[in-house]
Amino acid sequence: MALLEARDITKIYRLGRVDVPALRGVDLDVQQGEYVAILGPSGSGKSTLMHILGCLDSATDGSYRLGGTDVGTLRGRALARVRNRKVGFVFQTFNLMPRLTVEENVALPLQYRGGYTRRERRGRAGVVLERLGMSHRVGHRPEELSGGERQRVAIARALVGEPAILLVDDPTGNLDSKAGAEVLETFREVHAAGNTIVLVTHDPNVADEADRIVHMIDGRVAA
Amino acid sequence: MSILEALLVGLDEARRHLGQTLLSLLGLVLGTGSIVTVLALFGGQTKQTEAFIIEQGGFGAIIVYDREESLQPTPMELASRRLTYRDAAYLKDHATMLKGVAPGYFDRHGYRVGDMDFEGDVIGTTSDYAMINAIFPMAGRYISDLDVRRQARVMVLGWAYADSLFKGRPELALDKIVNLGGKNYTVVGVMEREEFYWAPWSGNALAHRNRRAYIPITTAFSQYTGENDRLDFLTLKAITPTGGPAAEAQVHQMMLSMHGVEDFDIQPLGQRNADDAQFFLMFNIIFLIVGLISLFAGGVVIANILLASVAERVREFGTRMALGASGFQVFAQVIAQVSVISIFGGLLGLGLGAALTGAVAHFMSQPAAVTGSMAAVALGTSLAVGAVAGFYPAFRAARLSPVEALRYG
Repeated sequence: MALLEARDITKIYRLGRVDVPALRGVDLDVQQGEYVAILGPSGSGKSTLMHILGCLDSATDGSYRLGGTDVGTLRGRALARVRNRKVGFVFQTFNLMPRLTVEENVALPLQYRGGYTRRERRGRAGVVLERLGMSHRVGHRPEELSGGERQRVAIARALVGEPAILLVDDPTGNLDSKAGAEVLETFREVHAAGNTIVLVTHDPNVADEADRIVHMIDGRVAA
Repeated sequence: MSILEALLVGLDEARRHLGQTLLSLLGLVLGTGSIVTVLALFGGQTKQTEAFIIEQGGFGAIIVYDREESLQPTPMELASRRLTYRDAAYLKDHATMLKGVAPGYFDRHGYRVGDMDFEGDVIGTTSDYAMINAIFPMAGRYISDLDVRRQARVMVLGWAYADSLFKGRPELALDKIVNLGGKNYTVVGVMEREEFYWAPWSGNALAHRNRRAYIPITTAFSQYTGENDRLDFLTLKAITPTGGPAAEAQVHQMMLSMHGVEDFDIQPLGQRNADDAQFFLMFNIIFLIVGLISLFAGGVVIANILLASVAERVREFGTRMALGASGFQVFAQVIAQVSVISIFGGLLGLGLGAALTGAVAHFMSQPAAVTGSMAAVALGTSLAVGAVAGFYPAFRAARLSPVEALRYG
């Protein structure tokens, strides 16, 4: 059984009186340990798909199972729980909390999970930062870091809760080519360590990093 | 997140948004401080009113007057003999809830000693009057039961009269003869000077008690009213300080059965004279209104700042939700922030209030003190204002759609 199973996912946005379909029946399976890139131009529905796969949004129709759980029917608090335990997000714009230190940023998902003391949270954040070669930056604030360093902090934050899947949204979009290459190298290492990654991008060169590329166009998976 | 942790996060948030925090604090501090001050002054005033009542005979002292006659009296009213010495005698013998009964005659007569003369108040009464009104002779004695039985021509002078009739040597009045309304009396006692000040700048609220003389009521009847035993008032004292209402009820019932008509009024003695306190009450109400307005303004400022802060941080909330924060946790985060501000605002306000109270108590010589319950009320008010002001912004943040919040800005 696949780690991630999406069947006939449809998403329709209602803008005033007009229905705008963003996804028109998407099927997608991702296996445990796989590195998949979803490639498509803007407006192809790849971001909408990522939001649904990441349990930030729910599909208008279709079924979605993540790690054997039918998450398509979940709402609100239950969905927040799934996001917290099973999904790790990496955003194009990093989305770090500017007033928190690197360590505090990385520990944030554990704070929402509960059950960890402050000390335990810091300990686990430290371990992940060490793994990503960022342990010399624990006490800094995001504004004191380079773009590539910020993105690696964001990756550490996504990994700290040991999620089932890493959802990555155009991770090099805000980086110069050197920093971008370093970040992609980090993803290769993370993948090599056994993590499952779904990466969304419009850049074929970035998509080439993955084991498998899923092309999207007009809200459908291209054949 | 536990409550403690939420508060720690709130403290952190409040510290990180220091400018917003300080502005919000200002409103809360002023409001809470003002309310604490009012409560303390109010408490002090209440204590002083109590002191005034005790000074005048304490709780449980009762006064009975003739009620004003109706414009068209009924036959029952016309037949009633009104308040008489017999009423007093009957109550003295039969009212089980009373430990003192003093009938009163009141009039004005000329006083004369040697070349000194003036017109002044006279009270004719019995020995119980001193006990009921908590007045004490500084020299000699008060009217006795024997004086009353014998219709003795004796007199007890109030301090001010003794002072003016005997040229600043009130103690010399004892055993001297004073002419009152053309009749001579032997002075058997001089009362202590009585005083009570609501504030240093106000006059002696008990000055009238020093400007009078007491004579046996039977003497007053025989010398001035021609055996008519109508009373001008009747003072009573309940057996216990808290027994006032029960005693009033018993007196009311007995008087009604004697008169057959309710042609009398019964009142607690202290209440009648505590009207001066009303003046201070008005000041307190003004203070209280100012405090409430400040708190309200503080609340509006907090709500406004929080709304702006939520709008500024939409993306942040979206990210937090993506990391697994539930709507409730986001709500709690905003509420924790406002709670920290409210707690600090309340505490600082309490300090300001205590300082203001101290200053007012010192400079205006008013008894006032901040008590635990006042502190609790002030802190509670501050927290309530914060909660009300924070609720809507927190609710807005919690209701954000994660996807839209992440796209924001």
